[in-house]
Amino acid sequence: MKLIEFNNSSSREVYNNYIARCKKATKVLSDADREECLLEINSHIYEYIQDHTATDELENLKTVLQQLGEPEVTLKEYVAAKKIDQAVTTFNPKHLIQALYFNIRNGIMYIFLSVLTLFFCCFFLLAVFKIIYPNNVGFFCSDDNFMFGYTTIPDPANELLGFWFAPLMLVISALLYLLCVFILKGIKKVKKV
Amino acid sequence: MKEDFLKNWDTQLKKGLLPLFVLQALRNKECYGYELIQELKSAAGIDISEGTIYPLLIRLMKEELLHYKWVEQPSGIPRKYYSISQEGKKCLTEMKKSLETTHSKIRKL
Repeated sequence: MKLIEFNNSSSREVYNNYIARCKKATKVLSDADREECLLEINSHIYEYIQDHTATDELENLKTVLQQLGEPEVTLKEYVAAKKIDQAVTTFNPKHLIQALYFNIRNGIMYIFLSVLTLFFCCFFLLAVFKIIYPNNVGFFCSDDNFMFGYTTIPDPANELLGFWFAPLMLVISALLYLLCVFILKGIKKVKKV
Repeated sequence: MKEDFLKNWDTQLKKGLLPLFVLQALRNKECYGYELIQELKSAAGIDISEGTIYPLLIRLMKEELLHYKWVEQPSGIPRKYYSISQEGKKCLTEMKKSLETTHSKIRKL
């Protein structure tokens, strides 16, 4: 992106600071979405400055930046919507978690999806723990009680799943992840976010 | 008190009609963001903030009512030109019909 040239060093500083904040606010986006967003902001600032050349450059810059608003606030909706697009098209858990983080206040479904995400993370971690602590992790079932997960007092004789525990946890984790993505796709279709 | 009420009502009305204003403005000619704000201000007297217009443009594009293209400029800073799609034109016609129906209902009262 070509930066705008200013005559006044204070203007340059204010502008650079604003663009840096925009870059920070959009850093979770894909490179293409981020570039598109920054280009449009830059273009708007430039057009405003060009339209007001008769008045003070710094004052004009401050006015247009004030009109555009605080990047952290005004870009929130854009970032949240773009993150959902990314989460449902890339099948990357990182984007799903980020999309839910940015949309958590946008409705009860996002809270529900966050809980589902927490579950798929837990099932995945259980698979990992099974490999690290094979004796302490599993589905222990005796006559009077049962225990699913990690325990400090393992009872290997009563562990039901054995070798299949880790693969089963991975499958459940993957299914929960896919469920989250498909629900998110459904919300996106209904809301057209 | 009455003036405040009317002013508030007028603001809400214009806010609700904003997608129609934007589609109508872009039906006449394609515009870049800053130009569209100026167009709405000069032709329709709507003082719209940047924080409102850009999210609205994004929503209208998601609905496939608008298209956009980047056009390189001699300055090296390209402009993002928005234009109305066929779907947008159909939608605009329906919106205008709905507005006329509402208007005629008010007159009948």
